[in-house]
Amino acid sequence: MDSLEQALPGLVREAQQLNKMAVARLISLFEDDREGSAVLRSQTLRLLDANPDTDTAGRRGRILGLTGTPGSGKSSLLSRITVDLLERNAELSLAVLAIDPSSQVSGGALLGDRTRMRFLPAEKRLFFRSQASQTDLGGLGPSSFQVCRLLSRLFDCVMIETVGIGQSEADIRHLADRVYLVLQPLGGDEVQFLKAGIIEIPHAFILNKSDEPTALKSFHHLRSSMWLARPFESEDLPIFQTSALTGAGLEELESEMLRQIESGGTAGLEMREPYFLDRWVHQEFGKSGGRFLAQQLGGATVFIAQAGGYEQAQAAFSQAFG
Amino acid sequence: MTQPEPHVISDEQGNAVRDRPWIIRTYSGHSSPKASNELYRSNLAKGQTGLSIAFDLPTQCGYDSDDPIARPEIGKVGVPINSLDDMHILFDQIPIEQMNTSMTINGTAMWLLALYVGLARERGVEISELNGTTQNDLIKEYLARGTYIFPPEQSLRIIAEMYEFCLEQIPAWNASNICSYHLQEAAATPAQELAFALANAISLLDLLKERGQFDDEQFERSVGRISFFVNAGIRFVEEMCKMRAFGELWDEYTKDRFGVKNEKYRRFRYGVQVNSLGLTESQPENNAWRILIETLGVTLSRDARARAVQLPAWNEALSLPRPWDQQWSLRLQQILAYETDLLEYPDLFEGSVVVRSKVDELKTQARAEIERILDMGGVIPAIESGYMKSALVRSMSERMSAINTGEQIVVGLNKWTDGIPSPLLGGEDGGIFKVDESSARDTIASLEKTRASRDSERVAAALAVLQEAARSGASMMEPSIECALARVTTGEWAGALREVFGEYRPATGVDGQKLSLDGDRVDQLRSRIDLLAQQLGHRPRIVVGKPGLDGHSNGAEVIAVSARHVGFDVIYSGIRLSPDEIVQSAVEEDADVIGASVLSGSHVELAQQIMDKLVEYGAEKSVAVVFGGIIPPDDFDTLFGLGVKRVFTPSDYQLIDIMESITEVIEANQEAS
Repeated sequence: MDSLEQALPGLVREAQQLNKMAVARLISLFEDDREGSAVLRSQTLRLLDANPDTDTAGRRGRILGLTGTPGSGKSSLLSRITVDLLERNAELSLAVLAIDPSSQVSGGALLGDRTRMRFLPAEKRLFFRSQASQTDLGGLGPSSFQVCRLLSRLFDCVMIETVGIGQSEADIRHLADRVYLVLQPLGGDEVQFLKAGIIEIPHAFILNKSDEPTALKSFHHLRSSMWLARPFESEDLPIFQTSALTGAGLEELESEMLRQIESGGTAGLEMREPYFLDRWVHQEFGKSGGRFLAQQLGGATVFIAQAGGYEQAQAAFSQAFG
Repeated sequence: MTQPEPHVISDEQGNAVRDRPWIIRTYSGHSSPKASNELYRSNLAKGQTGLSIAFDLPTQCGYDSDDPIARPEIGKVGVPINSLDDMHILFDQIPIEQMNTSMTINGTAMWLLALYVGLARERGVEISELNGTTQNDLIKEYLARGTYIFPPEQSLRIIAEMYEFCLEQIPAWNASNICSYHLQEAAATPAQELAFALANAISLLDLLKERGQFDDEQFERSVGRISFFVNAGIRFVEEMCKMRAFGELWDEYTKDRFGVKNEKYRRFRYGVQVNSLGLTESQPENNAWRILIETLGVTLSRDARARAVQLPAWNEALSLPRPWDQQWSLRLQQILAYETDLLEYPDLFEGSVVVRSKVDELKTQARAEIERILDMGGVIPAIESGYMKSALVRSMSERMSAINTGEQIVVGLNKWTDGIPSPLLGGEDGGIFKVDESSARDTIASLEKTRASRDSERVAAALAVLQEAARSGASMMEPSIECALARVTTGEWAGALREVFGEYRPATGVDGQKLSLDGDRVDQLRSRIDLLAQQLGHRPRIVVGKPGLDGHSNGAEVIAVSARHVGFDVIYSGIRLSPDEIVQSAVEEDADVIGASVLSGSHVELAQQIMDKLVEYGAEKSVAVVFGGIIPPDDFDTLFGLGVKRVFTPSDYQLIDIMESITEVIEANQEAS
């Protein structure tokens, strides 16, 4: 890690040019859970913030979440959307973080989202990284938040793809500025849409595989389930009907995403630090750790402010509790 | 007139006769149209009675020879065909009106048929006289072989349009050949082979019916045009029973489901290539006996005898066969057909209680599976959901597990492994075939000549009409023939349709595998990998992928799943990747190792390109490279010289050995940094 420290300024500069090797190595640093790595992360963020990329003038990339059950066609959709977005906006740069579940037996993971992606050779504006969730249900991985702190400083948009329903959607709502839930046409039972509360999380719905015969029926079921599940929304939530196979409906969805990206950067991951510190404490130290943070240290928000930053808060907590 | 004895075959006059032999073929083609033409003419002179054409991967996948992804593969596994000019060379001095020509071609089958028709027209041969087969079974491409181009629905439309064209125009042509061959190569059990192939054929007939282009009489004839391409494995008694089950089931389904009245059109017509999966790299001379025994499975029973047989060569697990190797296999067929008394007898198994019972058992199992697939809505949903692929991958891992544990004996591989080295491998060429590198240059030069000399307005117009037909739903067959005559190239034809249909990325078979990977060594390896993860700061990451065009993905998938099982984070990046894509994956993922699988013989070129790309990214030190596939020992040193760290071949069948070896590579790399 010593050699990395010396190389850091150069690496950061190259990463700002979207050099793939440099971006990849920095992501690894933000995934690294060894003790010495936190210092290097703070240093990287300081370097990035001190010399923001002139193109974006310190603006942070918008974070979009794409989530849904296995088989809903997220990866195929993503492969088309990414290429189209780059074509429609020649200035845009885009990072994809695709998260897949890990095996609880071996700890290993099979990260298969690349199989469906189309890559443009030597295109620096598109960067794709797979990540293991380290849980068997999917959702975010322990370092997804960390990696987004980095990527949102390098790219105009970060797209996070996750599998799973339930808790994992709640997590992604805390990380992404906008969450899209990808669904596939169902047999027609609206109760299925209501199950597990998945309908309560997203900002917008994508009903994919709209080329299938049951798609229209599912659209109406989804619409009516929404009135039941979210009666207090002031406006109808958008439902995009798409087909990654035929390309139908993609233009509309992409226009909405472009508006999202161009409307401004992320609301700021600093605001999300308390949630993810709390999550980290629970994962690393369990419930008693969580109680300690809330009761003895005044809660995550206060504690981060006292410690002087996220990394510092992590280090201080490990010392105080561990 | 006295009643003939039951052991005699007699003609209508009551004279004892001998059956005509099946069509004897050798699957061949290599290097260039010219070299392949010479080979075909010499095979025909040796007494071969039909042609079976192997195309190279760029031709199969719809790329011109000078496309960057095509270059390492030109002429490797078959002959390259870029345009009608190449067809004229390929069939030079071969009377196509007298030939039974089988083409192993799928994604571009309509194109190759259009070229064959174009050749006939330019030679002045009536196309109704043409006789042969385009393999054109895309279902098995999605499942096992990997040379699909378009999504399933469009692929099936192309197949249907070819049936519709051929029925009246080339009545003796088999527009497609339903293949169970490749399913057995992917380790399908006999029941799976029966079920998947028949479900495939049933779904095709359902589609022909639904399209409504045929009246009842034409539909009945089109049922009669469905033919099959089957495999025969080493369990030859069961295989013979499987063939009887095939015939009976097909007769039953065509009668009951499709109401075909004429018995002739319900007959199960099939050709065979016997099994290559069971051929071993160790003690390769034993494969000669395996091939002989497997041939018996599809020839012994007269009622279930193959119409055409082609045999692999004894050294297939080592490399592509040389002309001599093919001749040796050809002689086997000739001895069986002409020296022995096999063809003098009626069916030998008629009335056998044992055979009857075994056939019934297979039929019951197959029927249950067929109904399951039809309940899903036919083969397309069963493909798209990954159901069939997962079933096959499970069978493959069960097979490997049985070999690993010694439950399934493979002589020379997991039993009686000590032996005297084979003198057959001793010749100057080491017993293996090498493509002459200069032939690729000739192929590209002749492609450039075609492009320079053709009428470019006619080309553009022909392609526009083709795309219009593709969009409107009109038949693409005639537009394809015009493309052929206009000297459109293979890559242009496929490219025009790619623009309309898109390119298919299938469900992978990485789910649902059962591995025989457990026990102490796995536990020890997992601990080792946990330790390595602490040293690296992340779980070791491996990118598994197939560079090049060869689509046999099952081996790569088994490796991917095994690697996860022992604790790697595995980035499975799929098939048909350019070296650039695979290296970009490894760089973006900050991978520790690339595992590349190549079965097409292009391993040296691909390794070179991968290494060059790694250097370009500055990643040659951080990313180690290992190779797996059909790689002759003579090439090991070349690969090591390029910087490849390990080479795995079919003789490395113990998955745990491979996993330990890859872990070692990462450990060594970690220490070096």
